[in-house]
Amino acid sequence: MKRYGILILLFGALLLGGCVSEETFEDTPEGNLEALWQIIDERYCFLDYKAQAIGLDWDAVRLDYRRRLSPSMTRLQLFEVLCGMLGELRDGHVNLYCSADVGRDWSWKDDYPANLDHEVRESYLGTDYRIAAGLRYRILDDNIGYAVFDDFSSGLGDGNLDDALYYLRLCDGLIIDVRGNGGGLLSTAERFSSRFTNEKRLVGYISHKRGKGHSDFSKPMAEYLEPSKRLRWQKPAIVLTNRECFSATNTFVRNMQQCPLVRTLGDQTGGGSGMPFNSELPNGWLVRYSACVMYDAQMQQIEFGIPPDIPCSLDSADVARGRDTLIETARMMLRK
Amino acid sequence: MRRILLYIIIGICPALIHGQDLQPSVPVEGATSVGTVVGLGRASQLDTYLSPLSYSGPQLSFLRETFHLTKRANRRLSFQTILQGAFSHTENATSTAYDWAGRLGFDAGWHYHWCPMPALRLMAGGMVGTDIGFLYNDRNRNNPAQGRLNADVSASVGARYRLRLFRQSFVLRYQACLPLAGAMFSPGYGQSYYEISQGNRDHNVVATWPGNAFSLWQMVNVDIPLRRYTLRLGYLDDIRQSHANHIKVHDISRSFLIGFVRHFRLLKKNEREEGGDLQ
Repeated sequence: MKRYGILILLFGALLLGGCVSEETFEDTPEGNLEALWQIIDERYCFLDYKAQAIGLDWDAVRLDYRRRLSPSMTRLQLFEVLCGMLGELRDGHVNLYCSADVGRDWSWKDDYPANLDHEVRESYLGTDYRIAAGLRYRILDDNIGYAVFDDFSSGLGDGNLDDALYYLRLCDGLIIDVRGNGGGLLSTAERFSSRFTNEKRLVGYISHKRGKGHSDFSKPMAEYLEPSKRLRWQKPAIVLTNRECFSATNTFVRNMQQCPLVRTLGDQTGGGSGMPFNSELPNGWLVRYSACVMYDAQMQQIEFGIPPDIPCSLDSADVARGRDTLIETARMMLRK
Repeated sequence: MRRILLYIIIGICPALIHGQDLQPSVPVEGATSVGTVVGLGRASQLDTYLSPLSYSGPQLSFLRETFHLTKRANRRLSFQTILQGAFSHTENATSTAYDWAGRLGFDAGWHYHWCPMPALRLMAGGMVGTDIGFLYNDRNRNNPAQGRLNADVSASVGARYRLRLFRQSFVLRYQACLPLAGAMFSPGYGQSYYEISQGNRDHNVVATWPGNAFSLWQMVNVDIPLRRYTLRLGYLDDIRQSHANHIKVHDISRSFLIGFVRHFRLLKKNEREEGGDLQ
């Protein structure tokens, strides 16, 4: 009998086990809507927060948008309905991609003044500025360093930062203009901001979902900004912000606000503190959604942006004279 | 122990084989069979960390196996190693996204043999093994890939039947392995690899058993003697699954195998000097 023991054990395990599979939905308008609703319901990280902040009722959204479906609707009509449903989340990190379009909610920037005139900004850079992997910089007439960084996915490396900061080392202060920067790599945001602190600083917390419930979150993990072991900036610096500062740029601004010689000036950032993940629908459309929550150092949500230390708006009269109010204000403060 | 290590090395590095070829077709007591096969089949993959949809597509695999019938327990104990690798390229049902997957695994174990009739040999035993691999989705951005790492102890059963046809001796074999206990790596449900890289650990090492990681490896093959070599034809059914940290994973592949088997006997120094007596 003993010799058959192992066979009995194997058979028992076979009965216990089974095929691991996921609930599937039909590739129909209703099936795709249900699949999308479920992805957000189980994986999106801001449902509780947005219920409080903007009165989001995700169950009601489902019923509301199911009513807009019809079996005979076209592919693009379905796309429109699903994008409308995602728009209720008011999250720039939430997108739906089909071959014809990208569903998006850009109210975080479109609903606010830009506080940026690209033509005027380019006039400050002139034509003889330097470029280090997307970081454009020069020394202004009053010996203030000015650096424009439009994209955190540009591959800015330590060597680029060394060269740029060394070139600007004799300046009385530094303006870092990240207006219009929609984000990129968190690692670049961390690398850049690590040049502005001489000690390890708590800059925020990060948490992820541990289950399908709206409140199933991991214990927030503290995020620290370690000082770079390379060239570090030791003079006052001002970061210029507007509502287009989103995602990794939002994180950069969060980190920079914890650095003692740095202040932020301009408008509130656009937010986007959720780290986006991807999923997909039965019809193959790609979905992007916020999966991990990033907080500031006081454990406050920064999904809808970070207020500046010094609020400042672009004056249209200044623009007419070819002046950027934010740059001029920052120059004046750094000269003091 | 040194001999066991040697068999493991033979299983991994064919170039290190030293010994004398035996006549093909059936394992000889005291000899080591080394089988190398390649497989072509189809894989079905699901990993809800990357997508709720299953992907399917072709899979290319290889399997290298050593089998040695030891003198222990009255020649009823065998030692086996299996080195297995697979690479697949799969797509979702609408062909709008693609996965690339690869894995490499090594298992070693012992089996006790019974011979209820002269041509039939039943085996039961256990194996320990480890696997490493990845699954990459070409469309995802912050969650583009999953790493795989696991180790487990498996129960293993099998049967060999020697069949004489056309004055030749064929060997039919079936073997099944069922992982019973082990450990595997898994990110948290919504945990990013960025967080893991920052030192955030959240139950990333998960204990496994058939209730949360039911997997089953089954192979059936026939060894056909051909002059100096033995041709091996087979079919492999490989089911790997897990449900940990609310992440569902399955990697189910079925492949047809073809390869060859050689039988070796490791000679001691004095046997080598005497020319090797292989009775």
